[in-house]
Amino acid sequence: MSTHPTDSGMATAEFAAAAEAPTALDDGKPPATAGARKWLQFRFLIRFQSLLGLVLVLFGGIIFSPRRNGEILFLSADNLANIVRSVSETGIIAVGMTFVIIAGGIDLSVGAVLGLSGVLVARLMIDWNYGTALAIVIVLIAGLLFGVLQGLVSNYMRIQAFIVTLAGLQLARGLARTISGDKFINISYGDGAKQAPSSFSVLGDRFFGGVLPVSALVFLGVGIIGAVMLNTTRFGRHVFAVGGNERAARLSGINVRYVKIVTFAICGLTAALSGILDAGQLAFANPDSGTGYELTAIAAVVIGGTSLFGGEGTVVGTLAGALLLGTLNNILQLNNINANLQLIVTATIIVLAAALQHLASRRRST
Amino acid sequence: MEPNGAAPNGTPPPLLEMQGIGKAFGGVRALRGVDLTIRPGEVHALIGENGAGKSTLMNIMSGAIADYEGKMRLSGLEIRFSSPQGALKVGVATVFQELDLVPGLSVAHNLFLGQEPRRSGIFVDNSTMHRRAEAVLQRVGGGISPRSIVGNLRLGQQQAVAIAKALAVGEPRILILDEPTAALSTHEVERLFEIIRLLRSRGVAIVFISHRLEEISQIGDRVTVLRDGRAVATVPASTPQEQLVSLLIGESLRALFPPAGTARSEDRLTLENFSYRPRRPSPEWQAPHDINLTVRAGEIVGLVGLLGAGRTELLQVLYGTAPPGLQSGSVKVDGRPLRIGSPLAALRRGIGFVPDDRRGSGLVTTRSVTENLILADLKRLSTVGVVRAGRVRDALRWGLPRLKIKAAGADAPILSLSGGNQQKVLIGRILLRQPDLLLLDEPTRGVDIGAKAEIYHLVRSLAASGLAVLVASSELPELAGWCDRLVVLRQGRMVADLPPDTDPARVLALAADTNTTQEQQ
Repeated sequence: MSTHPTDSGMATAEFAAAAEAPTALDDGKPPATAGARKWLQFRFLIRFQSLLGLVLVLFGGIIFSPRRNGEILFLSADNLANIVRSVSETGIIAVGMTFVIIAGGIDLSVGAVLGLSGVLVARLMIDWNYGTALAIVIVLIAGLLFGVLQGLVSNYMRIQAFIVTLAGLQLARGLARTISGDKFINISYGDGAKQAPSSFSVLGDRFFGGVLPVSALVFLGVGIIGAVMLNTTRFGRHVFAVGGNERAARLSGINVRYVKIVTFAICGLTAALSGILDAGQLAFANPDSGTGYELTAIAAVVIGGTSLFGGEGTVVGTLAGALLLGTLNNILQLNNINANLQLIVTATIIVLAAALQHLASRRRST
Repeated sequence: MEPNGAAPNGTPPPLLEMQGIGKAFGGVRALRGVDLTIRPGEVHALIGENGAGKSTLMNIMSGAIADYEGKMRLSGLEIRFSSPQGALKVGVATVFQELDLVPGLSVAHNLFLGQEPRRSGIFVDNSTMHRRAEAVLQRVGGGISPRSIVGNLRLGQQQAVAIAKALAVGEPRILILDEPTAALSTHEVERLFEIIRLLRSRGVAIVFISHRLEEISQIGDRVTVLRDGRAVATVPASTPQEQLVSLLIGESLRALFPPAGTARSEDRLTLENFSYRPRRPSPEWQAPHDINLTVRAGEIVGLVGLLGAGRTELLQVLYGTAPPGLQSGSVKVDGRPLRIGSPLAALRRGIGFVPDDRRGSGLVTTRSVTENLILADLKRLSTVGVVRAGRVRDALRWGLPRLKIKAAGADAPILSLSGGNQQKVLIGRILLRQPDLLLLDEPTRGVDIGAKAEIYHLVRSLAASGLAVLVASSELPELAGWCDRLVVLRQGRMVADLPPDTDPARVLALAADTNTTQEQQ
């Protein structure tokens, strides 16, 4: 049986071409530079989409702001401080949530943990006579342990974070109502029985000539710590690796379970901090406080460019995302626009941010 | 059975003609000017090393890739498929390696998925569907109930169902099978070949993509060899194996391999009567057993074996990623017993591992070249938990030129790199930890020839400076050209330790899992 004539012709042509292989070796394959560079610029835009959005919204705020005697009300120090204060609680939580989501998880319990923490700090001070500092530390540790518990259950019983933290939400809310006797706890300051130490009232104060609220300062502080942690520490890299490719992380000697559990701990800690601030600002603790905050926090994270699939995101983006939502609501409020419309606008922005994200990931995979 | 369809005179008109087919993915050329003809009633095998362009060509033929250069004619008429469904309509059916079945549904439901016979337009007519399913299943040899749940069937049976699904629409003129035997046992392969012969006898042309040369002489009529994106030759399937092997690698490829090194006296890895038994045995995970193996400093040892022979599994055991189980015999690294634990424990003992599944277990796809490169070495690069930018720069300065990584920049996304450069990053990730023993699993899979040669030279130069390397590959020519010794595994057992210039046919015979060849040796 002989080789087909055309086939043998092909074969010789191929051998001639194959002889050139060593030259191809010397210069190698040119990297896809042009495409890669274009993509880098594009990625830069995606990475800071929320910052750009925030700038746009700020401009919108100036344009649409009501004026009094020529003064732009939107830009008044009071108003700007109010914007930061209004998003500080969900914003703090969103920073913790960023860690969890980048590591590939989700935490639905944060709003309920906020409620639980507020109630707990109030009872500690009012009924069990703890000092401000100790009460705060205990509540922060409790929040952290709550996160650790969820992380342990999720990692060792192999249940998805969504389910575990959905259960955690119910548990925390149930505990909050039990501890509070299912009612508001009013916090009155003083040295007497059933009173909280007056130092706790600092949390509701404003610094710098009564302009900058404490909660806003705490929010910015948490944001800076979170951004530094995620960007400069070994742990931060581990979080990205675990969320980006868990198996690769494990093969690189990273303790994947530890990393995931710590992200839940961080998230629980931020939720507890928000709960303490909430009680401090309102001067009462409501067991149902923080309902729905988990969704606002997730929205801020997503608008900030963090992928719900894990492996990418920034704290700076999250901060911008939270501020963007707050600023938008503020503009609508200043113009006396119906609160229901605010929800609709928020919805549009979430979808827009997610669509941009999707575009980015499609770019990456080609 | 017709012996061969290659007689020049009685050649029937071609069923499918492909002319000058070319395709590039980004900057990487997968196919260049491929010509191919498929005749009615022939079994046409497509072979080639990984990255030779087999799957790209198959995807074009089956309609999965619509955007390509060149022309295709079916029975003389020029066609261009836009989707596998479009191809199916004109009689070109494909059974992909990832079987297109819904495991939770019954065989009959799978066969008629989306085109179930209806009663009054809305209800699925179950009795008609089962009757028709029975008829279709008969055509692939029968023995499978239409009511069985697909997920409960053995893999070979699932394969038959997938083929039946291609037949359910109507008899195809061309049936494309993508590595159909890759995951089948010897017995199941026999069954599959019976189905293929049955279809061929009815005039169906079969395009058969395979890795295993011995199967081709068994079932094929003609073979087209692809190499580096070109169709090198189309020859009768009866062509001797050695000739096919040299067509596969090409003479000039020899030049890609670095000169052999010299092994030193220190033993890096010693396995004595080593066996590993997972607590929960599974048919997909071939436990390695009865391994007696030494890898010395400066030496590259190749692990040869068929798919499922336990090559990957042995590397996984050593690196601590195997499913939990018990070991017997001894493993020593640098003379001290190795306690098999976790990747971290292995890394601490100076063992590095580069997995075969680059995308699934290697790359952190969302991150940059730098982040991927330094991932395993962050501890050394940081002080009290803070990663030091200066040390990262030093690591890049050390790594990028040495590994010859070509990227738009150190901050370029890892996925913007070619497969070969991605692989170099993964090897670099482990090298930053300065291992004494390097385990490589399919290090050149999906890598272009230039990068392959660079990887061969890189690993050889590392070996020259004292590294011991154990490399598993499904490409025998690669191992023969690159390694100092070949260790053959068969069904998890080590059966031979050979010099690299051993006759490939003998190595393959040793690796084959038939008892007859074992007795021949």
